[in-house]
Amino acid sequence: MIAAARPAWTRQLRALLLKDLRLELRTRDTAVAMVLFAVLAMLIFQFAFGNRGDDLTPYAGGILWATLSLTAVLGVGRSWVPEREQGVLDGILAAPVPRLVLMASKAGAIYAYLLAVEVVAVPLVALFFVRGSVAGDLGLIALTCLLANLGIAVLGSLYACLALFARARELLLPVLFLPSLLPVVIAAAGAVNAVAGGTNDLSEYRGYSLFLAVYAVIFGLVAYATYDHVFDD
Amino acid sequence: MTEARPGRRLAVTGAATAALTALAVYGVFFVAPEDADQGIIQKIFYFHVAIAIGSLLAFAVACVYGIRYLRSRDERHDEISATSVGIGIGFAVLVVITGSIWAKASWGTWWVWTDPRLVTFLVVLLLYAAYFVLRSSAEGERRMRYSAIYSIAAFASVPLSFYSVRVARSFVHPVVLTSSGANMPNTMLVWFAVSQLAVIGAFLTIMQVELLQRRADKALRRIKLRLEAAA
Amino acid sequence: MSTGAQYVVAAYGVILFGLLMYVVVLGLRTARLAREAELLARLAEREGDPDRPREPAATP
Repeated sequence: MIAAARPAWTRQLRALLLKDLRLELRTRDTAVAMVLFAVLAMLIFQFAFGNRGDDLTPYAGGILWATLSLTAVLGVGRSWVPEREQGVLDGILAAPVPRLVLMASKAGAIYAYLLAVEVVAVPLVALFFVRGSVAGDLGLIALTCLLANLGIAVLGSLYACLALFARARELLLPVLFLPSLLPVVIAAAGAVNAVAGGTNDLSEYRGYSLFLAVYAVIFGLVAYATYDHVFDD
Repeated sequence: MTEARPGRRLAVTGAATAALTALAVYGVFFVAPEDADQGIIQKIFYFHVAIAIGSLLAFAVACVYGIRYLRSRDERHDEISATSVGIGIGFAVLVVITGSIWAKASWGTWWVWTDPRLVTFLVVLLLYAAYFVLRSSAEGERRMRYSAIYSIAAFASVPLSFYSVRVARSFVHPVVLTSSGANMPNTMLVWFAVSQLAVIGAFLTIMQVELLQRRADKALRRIKLRLEAAA
Repeated sequence: MSTGAQYVVAAYGVILFGLLMYVVVLGLRTARLAREAELLARLAEREGDPDRPREPAATP
């Protein structure tokens, strides 16, 4: 009996993903910069809103996701940098890699970057902005992160490809990315606030989480429907 | 191939729109009963909502023609898609301004974050402003292809934005269908319908005008090229 | 006029204003088209004029 070979696309996906992640692990440029940026954003929020010593606990979820969405812009902008810096952009586009796999690998990279930032950002937000303990809610907050990251990664991967050849890439990407990201900010901030912002409303949390899942599915469908046309061939 | 009388079709659409608009204004102000709760302020809704729906229709048309462009790679589909987005944005601006006036009339402030429609159209403005930024960042075939893809993604964002605001609101205030919803007496509903038809007519008229302008522009450019080559 | 009515008039006025601004934009575009068409007409007429001094043909 012949053992079924694993389909080629999973191998390619793994290879591409691991390549990006390994590169990042070696240099750690992007992750470090993103984490620093996130911390700085939190400081900005503190100085902008907390100077009078007000209790920002009800806003902690909002601050977390404002920070994460701005940091996500950075991560998305960096997702094609490995190819670009090594001058292999044309090469990898010419290679017979299915476009869907390529986009999925970029989405995976963005997801990983976001996770790395969240590992630092969530405890810091809890430390800086939440008066009271958050330990019990960490699981739910983590779940929100995992869900929201899906939508952000799919969205970011699609738009990063649209901005791939643009002249003013750093300007185009935020303008393109952020308006579509707003629903995630609303839902993710709402979800975190529902559990950590002083009250503990699980039905609210569930409502927002469902929305995040729907968001990821819808944009997944959009990306799936259009990936064929994103690249030049 | 150009039709012999594009002007004729435009004249018909334009005249019908003008007639519908006049009829709607007459109906809204002289026939429709005044709303029990909001009084005369409610009359803003007739065109405010009609233009809002018109704007969404325009973006839907843009999405549909974006899809058609991706299938056919026909430049005319891209043209219609882009024009539609432009008209949609124009309508959306009107929605936000009239909505703001309505907010001031109802609640005393020029802006509220609690009305999902108003907030959604602000987001929609930003969403489709990005469409034109994307368009100017690329050229030729890529411009048309990217625009088509974004017209689809942006249109998917519209209901997501609306529902995210609504869901957030619903946890604070249970959502209730206001008198601008479906429980409206027929005497009002009919004038809503007329206003809506007038707005749709305006969309079609403006679309035809825009496409005609582009056609003239392109024809002139062709002549210019030919003359410069002969010189 | 009650203040409510004033707001209603303001809202419809904004719509009218928007429409009129669009007409102005159309007018400007038509003016540009007319200018270009005029230019091209003059260019075409000059081409057709047999007495016009011609540039020496470019040597290969």
